[in-house]
Amino acid sequence: MRLLVIEDYRPLQQSLLKGLREAGFAVDTAADGQEGLWYALNNDYDVIILDLMLPGIDGLKILKELRSKGRQSHVLILTAKDTLQDRITGLDQGADDYLIKPFEFKELLARVRALLRRSYRQKNPQIKIKDLRIDLTTQKVWRGRNEVDLTPREYALLEYLAMRAGEPISRTDIWEHVYEFKSAASSNVVDVYIGYLRRKIERPDKPLLIHTIRGRGYLLEGQP
Amino acid sequence: MTTSLRTRLILGIVGGMVLLLTIFILTVYILIQRALVNQFDSALLSTARILAASVETDANTIDLEDVQNMPEFNDPKYQTYYQIWEQDGKVMARSPFLGTDNLPRLEGSLNNGVFNKLTGRDRPERAVGLKFLPRSETGNESSSQPAANDKILILTVARGAGDLYNQLGLLRWLLFLASAIVIALSVLIAAFVVRQGLRPLHSIASEIAAVREDDLAARIGTASIPAEILPIKNRLNDLLSRLEGAFKREKRFTADVAHELRNPLAGIRSTIEVNLTRTRDITEYRSALSECLEIVENMQTMVNNLLLLARLDAKQISFQGEQVRLAELVNSCWRPLSKEATNHKITFENRIDPKITCESDRQNLAIILSNILENAVEYTDEGGQIRATGRQGEGSVEITVSNTGCRLNNEQAAQVFDCFWRGDSSRKDAGVHCGLGLALVDRIIKALGGSTTAEVENGGIFKIRLTLPAK
Repeated sequence: MRLLVIEDYRPLQQSLLKGLREAGFAVDTAADGQEGLWYALNNDYDVIILDLMLPGIDGLKILKELRSKGRQSHVLILTAKDTLQDRITGLDQGADDYLIKPFEFKELLARVRALLRRSYRQKNPQIKIKDLRIDLTTQKVWRGRNEVDLTPREYALLEYLAMRAGEPISRTDIWEHVYEFKSAASSNVVDVYIGYLRRKIERPDKPLLIHTIRGRGYLLEGQP
Repeated sequence: MTTSLRTRLILGIVGGMVLLLTIFILTVYILIQRALVNQFDSALLSTARILAASVETDANTIDLEDVQNMPEFNDPKYQTYYQIWEQDGKVMARSPFLGTDNLPRLEGSLNNGVFNKLTGRDRPERAVGLKFLPRSETGNESSSQPAANDKILILTVARGAGDLYNQLGLLRWLLFLASAIVIALSVLIAAFVVRQGLRPLHSIASEIAAVREDDLAARIGTASIPAEILPIKNRLNDLLSRLEGAFKREKRFTADVAHELRNPLAGIRSTIEVNLTRTRDITEYRSALSECLEIVENMQTMVNNLLLLARLDAKQISFQGEQVRLAELVNSCWRPLSKEATNHKITFENRIDPKITCESDRQNLAIILSNILENAVEYTDEGGQIRATGRQGEGSVEITVSNTGCRLNNEQAAQVFDCFWRGDSSRKDAGVHCGLGLALVDRIIKALGGSTTAEVENGGIFKIRLTLPAK
């Protein structure tokens, strides 16, 4: 899942980057309004964490701009502005959540996960596909009774496939949602990681879960 | 003297009423009394004249035949008595009803009476006394020249005046009663009028009482207000406006402080939390700790600045005066910034004449100059220029610090001295500067008796001008 953090206060931005990356997200950061808006408009982020008081363009303007251009990314406002009116304005301008600084990092993570589930209409934090089970909260994966040990990147890939289970997903989509803007990876990397993932998840004695669809990308079995 | 407006007004009105009534009633009484007494007296005088005209004398006797035929003197119901003396005091005649009583001998002038009130007998009487020349029985009618003075007789006529004095007594009582009623009523009316009149005061008082410290937007006197209280109402409303403004500024300032403290707190908290999510190697912990330390140092600076602002506002800071060489001070304030400036290829030029001095507080002047120079370094463009100039005026000293690369307009420049105001756009270091430095400059300069202005010149040159008293 790919996130954008628009935050001008460097120490906070850096710790968010570190924490979110370690939680398995692909994270881009922007330190001012213009940069933030550019990132937000040119990439398909799952969740944007947005500060309100930004140099350049302020947070609410960015939000307005995104919504008027029809961007569907979920936006979580993260700000020190705590009055009721601020919260109402933020939510009414099209934000999906509002968190006041200082905040607990775990809560931020939980809210980001909730927004992600909402993005993919996935109310249940446990995804079951045949005998594959994914716990979105603890990020653990089981095939049958056996826990599958995945690297963060493999997990991120699986999670994205599972969120969109049953529909074919292009390599570009996968690349955009699992890799960061600044990473050197190209969409070929997707094939490599799909290979790794197959090796860990597929069992010769069990039905195939990840299908390659020629010319279109990949598909994770959709029937539970 | 009582301080109650109401009591004062009531006392004033009633006192005035009592005074006026007393004067009026006394005048009326005296006029009526005089008229009644005069009427009575003139009747008495005419009776006396008739009596005098009826008296005839010869050598030693007096003839009262005509008098005895006059009904007034023959019927006791008229209560009219007379007594006639010779000039030597010998009683010539007296009214038969008098018995042995004597009337007082009232010596009026010839034919003109003198009047008196008699109280000696069982009822009040009025008497008139006059001298007269009796007719002579010899028929000598010529009275133009009395034959001899000893012929002149003295007459007193008295008449019971009980009715007159009873009437006057009744009149006194009536007037007294009437005035007592009028005064009692006037007390009631005055109380009512005063209460009505002071009602706006009460309503204003209750409106003032209803003003709460958490809602100063309320204003007094929405209802109609008498012209006399209008100035009070207006002044009160002005005061409320000023208070409201001050409270609003205070609230905004507190909110700003809270906001500015939240960012670094969030930074510290999330740095710590993220680093605690798993076991890390020692360098990672070290860098997290030094990050936190840096944030704490910035917070400390901010808190110190806030404290300084609060103390300046409360006038809790004392200043020492000493001769300060300004060029020297500017150089010493620049020194800690020169490295940062060199990193950004910023050049600094101190053009202040070394001879310019002013008598001021060195330490606080140093805070001012450091803040201005720091601000200049912060906002000057890469490769830009900072310049300090000075001018010795009459009784004042002027220092101007200008820097290139300013993106503000003049309207924004006027705001640079506001707390927590930031020039926005490309801040290099969010969180390090929280918009208190120039606010402090402004407050300290004012406390030192000087002033500040900020303006933007063409070509993005930002100028801060300080004016300080030379002594």
